Amino acid sequence: MATPAALPPLPFNPGRVRSYLVRLPLFTRLVLLVILAFWLLELQTIWSVVEWGALIPNEINLGTMYRLNTYPIIHTGFFHAFLNALALTPLLERFEAEHGTLTSIALFVGLGLGYLKVLVPPEKVLRWIEGKLNLLGRLPHYVSVDQKTYGRDYIYNSAHLVSSVRRKFPVNNAELRAPQQAGLSPSTRRNIRLNLLVVVDWETSSNGSRSMALKSAIRNLRNNPQLLFVRLPNILSFLCIVVGVVWLLLLPLNDYSRQTYISENALLPGQVHAYFTGSEQNIFRGYKKELQALIQEGRENGPQNPEVESTPAISNKIYSILQAAGLKVATQKYEYTSAGIGYQGENVYGIIHAPRGDATEAIVLVAAWKTADDELNLNGVTLALTLARYFKRWSLWSKDIIFVFPPDSKTGTQAWIDAYHDLHPASVQSLPLKSGALQGALVIEYPFENHFHTLHIVYDGVNGQLPNLDLFNTAVAIAGGQMGIGANLQEMWKHDDSYQDRLKTILRGMTKQGLGYATGAHSSFMPYHIDAITLQPKGEGWEDEMALGRTIESLCRSLNNLLEHLHQSFFFYLLMQSNRFVSIGTYLPSAMLIAGNFTIMAIALWMRTGYYSDSNKPSVPAGSEGPKSKSDQKPDLVAQKEVTETKTVGSAVAERVLALPLSLVSGLHLLGLVPLWTFNTIFHQYFTAATYIFVVVDIVLPLILAALLSNGLGIARPIVPQQYLLIKSFALLLLGLSLSTLATLNFSLSFMIGLLCAPLSFITRIQGPAAVRYPISILGLALLNLLSPPAVLIGVCWYTGVPIETVLTQAAFGWDVWGMWTQVVVWCVWWPAWLIGCVLLGSSMF
Amino acid sequence: MAVDRRKVAVFGAAFVLRLLLICLFPSLPDLLTGRVEVSTPVNSFKRLQEGLYLYTRDVSPYDGGVFHQAPLLLPLFSLLPDVTTNPVPTAIFYFLVDLLNAHALATISASGQSVQSRLHSAMRKHIRWDGTSVAAWFLFNPFTIATCLARSTSVLTTSGILFAVSSAVSGNSLNAMLALGFASYLSLYPALLFVPLALLCYDQRSQNSAQAPNTALFILQHGAILSGGIAGLLGLSVLITGNFWEFMTATYGFHLLVPDLTPNVGLWWYFFIEMFDSFREFFLGVFWLHLASYVGGLTARLRRQPLFIITSLLGVFAVFKPYPSISDASLFFALLPLYRHLFPLMRYTFFAISALLYSSLLGPAFYHLWIYAGSGNANFFYAITLVWSLGLSILLADVIFAALRDEWEQDHPERKGEEVKQV
Repeated sequence: MATPAALPPLPFNPGRVRSYLVRLPLFTRLVLLVILAFWLLELQTIWSVVEWGALIPNEINLGTMYRLNTYPIIHTGFFHAFLNALALTPLLERFEAEHGTLTSIALFVGLGLGYLKVLVPPEKVLRWIEGKLNLLGRLPHYVSVDQKTYGRDYIYNSAHLVSSVRRKFPVNNAELRAPQQAGLSPSTRRNIRLNLLVVVDWETSSNGSRSMALKSAIRNLRNNPQLLFVRLPNILSFLCIVVGVVWLLLLPLNDYSRQTYISENALLPGQVHAYFTGSEQNIFRGYKKELQALIQEGRENGPQNPEVESTPAISNKIYSILQAAGLKVATQKYEYTSAGIGYQGENVYGIIHAPRGDATEAIVLVAAWKTADDELNLNGVTLALTLARYFKRWSLWSKDIIFVFPPDSKTGTQAWIDAYHDLHPASVQSLPLKSGALQGALVIEYPFENHFHTLHIVYDGVNGQLPNLDLFNTAVAIAGGQMGIGANLQEMWKHDDSYQDRLKTILRGMTKQGLGYATGAHSSFMPYHIDAITLQPKGEGWEDEMALGRTIESLCRSLNNLLEHLHQSFFFYLLMQSNRFVSIGTYLPSAMLIAGNFTIMAIALWMRTGYYSDSNKPSVPAGSEGPKSKSDQKPDLVAQKEVTETKTVGSAVAERVLALPLSLVSGLHLLGLVPLWTFNTIFHQYFTAATYIFVVVDIVLPLILAALLSNGLGIARPIVPQQYLLIKSFALLLLGLSLSTLATLNFSLSFMIGLLCAPLSFITRIQGPAAVRYPISILGLALLNLLSPPAVLIGVCWYTGVPIETVLTQAAFGWDVWGMWTQVVVWCVWWPAWLIGCVLLGSSMF
Repeated sequence: MAVDRRKVAVFGAAFVLRLLLICLFPSLPDLLTGRVEVSTPVNSFKRLQEGLYLYTRDVSPYDGGVFHQAPLLLPLFSLLPDVTTNPVPTAIFYFLVDLLNAHALATISASGQSVQSRLHSAMRKHIRWDGTSVAAWFLFNPFTIATCLARSTSVLTTSGILFAVSSAVSGNSLNAMLALGFASYLSLYPALLFVPLALLCYDQRSQNSAQAPNTALFILQHGAILSGGIAGLLGLSVLITGNFWEFMTATYGFHLLVPDLTPNVGLWWYFFIEMFDSFREFFLGVFWLHLASYVGGLTARLRRQPLFIITSLLGVFAVFKPYPSISDASLFFALLPLYRHLFPLMRYTFFAISALLYSSLLGPAFYHLWIYAGSGNANFFYAITLVWSLGLSILLADVIFAALRDEWEQDHPERKGEEVKQV
């Protein structure tokens, strides 16, 4: 690794920090110690220090007066204590320095609390006693030369001070001279002097009693910016990733998650009686018979698999039932093509015009003929038809109610909602009949015949957008509170509210959100800012379709109450149980930290490239200079040339060669458009082959690029090591900023991609003898190739047992129909960053 | 005249790139036209279409309160075919304007005025880019491309300003003033550039002639040319619209009083949304005064480098204008490469550019969350416009610092390269 020898001096002087700490006056030290002691005391669990010493108004009596003095020094946790100490120290130190230790004690410890004011001795007396005791003077060099001469916090940079120190401490002379002889830059030399000065200052007073280790450690930090610019970013980045992951793992704990609550008062869930019972069941049975007869008919003379496919006869029947119930009915034909597969169908929908409304707002009820799992949704469709007839007779609706019957859950609602907003493609018919702005949508799925036990609520939208949490909460409150039906989410049928189950629920939610596909007919509504959920009855129980009908009636009544669009509650949340969630403020730092690790690295690399790697200077710590290989020689020449240039320019700042890194990074990001186009355009039968071809391309392409770069591309000067760092810096900068932007839109996707890209922060060009470089870089490349987008796809498909073709067909369909952009992130953010990581690693072989 | 092959290649590539973009993504121009970052009430192509529609039907274009641009644009754009049926000619017109702007930039760069003027000679003049590279930076800047594809009328203001400067550096002060008059006529704010531009013309004149002209007379003369140019354009406008006060209030009144608070990348809209009406006039005054005050300060401090005053003022305008868009930023970025020799002295480029990159990604994302997803609110977008302005201001402050440092080194050659500390 090209280690810069003359990195800039640290932006702060650690010696100064230490001398500050060393000069803290007596009482300040005492207070800090006590705070530390109490914090340590709190770590045990037997005796609650907080309970004992906190200022609780109800607990105050004559016997517990001590609380008035203990509460400022007892804290609830490390950060509380640390930040308070941080805030307190400079103030208290200043005060004590100016007013004396005794006054500080008197004021701090309660004599000055007000009720004993008369007892406070006059300040003059205190000062006199203090003068006798010489409290301030007891500590080493509290009043130091620099403060007297140069005021507080100034760098001592005059030569005579150094010489005076030299005169006093001739022992140190050798040490002082050494760096001079070593040829350090003047600024470094000055800094060393400063350190020496501080060290000497301190040493004389404490009679050299402290160990030398700390001293030399601090001096090393000061003289060795390598640590700051090379090691520290690695450590920080790694910490960011670890903390980001741990953060996510903490979320299921009670301390970090919250109980759900209804935020929008107008919803009033479960406050009305649901009347959908008794005689309506006969209507339900009647409708079901009619539909079953049609299915039977279709089975006898229709095409293959007729019980699942909707036929024109069925949509005609739905049409006529809705019309007979008194709704305005219309149909819409649509057609989509994706990856060589055609999808077509006909939506039937009817509108109940609100007797009390002005047709400016509407609620949507959807019952697709096929559920999201491609099952026949006979009970769901029948229930929706029954509800349509039932709702039509009520006079209390203030919003229109639209009943939509799409032939399947994937395409139908998408075509309908696009056309509702006039944003449909040419292959989709326009809607002849419309109503007002849609306030919410409910999807009914009941694809089996037996009675059910619980209600499964599906809420994930396209691209990870979620409905307002109030809608979900209302559904849970009505199902659980009013109807006595339990609610499930994320297919967690047995949820015992343990940490594991909560985490599992979160992770399942994150997977769906991250992949960004439509999980049901409701998902298509989300991009239009229409909150929607799917209700799926599940399990064996005693609840029948009437109970589901009542739940939906009650939900519609709640939505009917809305005065404005759902906006009160959260749009960004992770649910871990039907009544527990974490909101964005709590979970976002997790993804942001992971995205931030790339930015930290990018900034550090940028700063590193600003300074020359000058191997002439001997002050580099031993070990960082490996034996010079061929690739090392070339850059040295360049560096030499540039050093001479700097001397003429007279600036200590290195000129960065930006053109190649910039064009390489932007070019590779644009190259991502090729796989993006390929995987969304080719026919579905070629998907598997394309994936495997792409795995091979991913193995070969980085090596070709690395070889081209190292040999100067044939047209330009050979690349200098600085440019490798710049390439990495730009790539990580782009990755970091894309991921942090993404985290605000789709937290889970950003988190997943961030984790998969995490190794890229730490990959660099390996230098050293060939025997070391080759095996390491080949091993690294092999490992990285396991993390390439197609390899991850193959791995996940193998693990879950889903064919690659199915996944990619679904993805292409999402791209073409749902407007899903997960692929854009994969191919234009993840893949280029990964490719650049491989190129860097591969370049160590050339 | 020998044809510069590199220049032809750059200009051709820029043209082809733009053409490819509109052919491959036919919906891109309309998408960009609708973006608030690109189109503001005073440069929106959509609003221009509205004005054009009214104009061609003999209704006053300012009826309806949508159109706020200069009236002379109307006859100009009515010559082009209808954009809904045939968008390519209009697009090509904009491409050509972009190329002309780039040509003006190349002229400015070739004059070497940025490194060597009458009173100033930069210390690092060997570090510079030639005109073609500067033009390439302008032409391939994504912000310029976005502005061009969005058919924002700011590009015409941009060409007015760039031509004013390029005429000034080539010693043609009459054309410079007329071009500035055109720009001021279109967008009002370029009038603030009069003083530095006149100084630039003055320096150029006194360098070329044996004796320096009379300063006061020179300024007066040029002021008169500028006012004459503007008056002529206003006269033509009256001929077109027929009602002087109507178009004055609808255009310049609109610029000055900022009644339309559609979000944009600037700082004004949010302030004026939040403000009580009784304070509106006061703060309008303060904001405008603040914007105009930079002219005096920068002119006095950087008197020796008039072209640099113009550059930094354009940066100030890009931040503090009432209706800024990315086209203003792109004009500022276009002039920055002229100061390639200052780059080694700049200290926060990486951070400024990172801030700009972050805000150009997060801005659309937060706007989406606010307007489309409904899960964010106005504060999201405003926060990002603050970051954007911060990035621009850091860049601006940094380049001004570098220019001052350069001047200081010229005065103290012996202390070149020493560390300085701001106190």
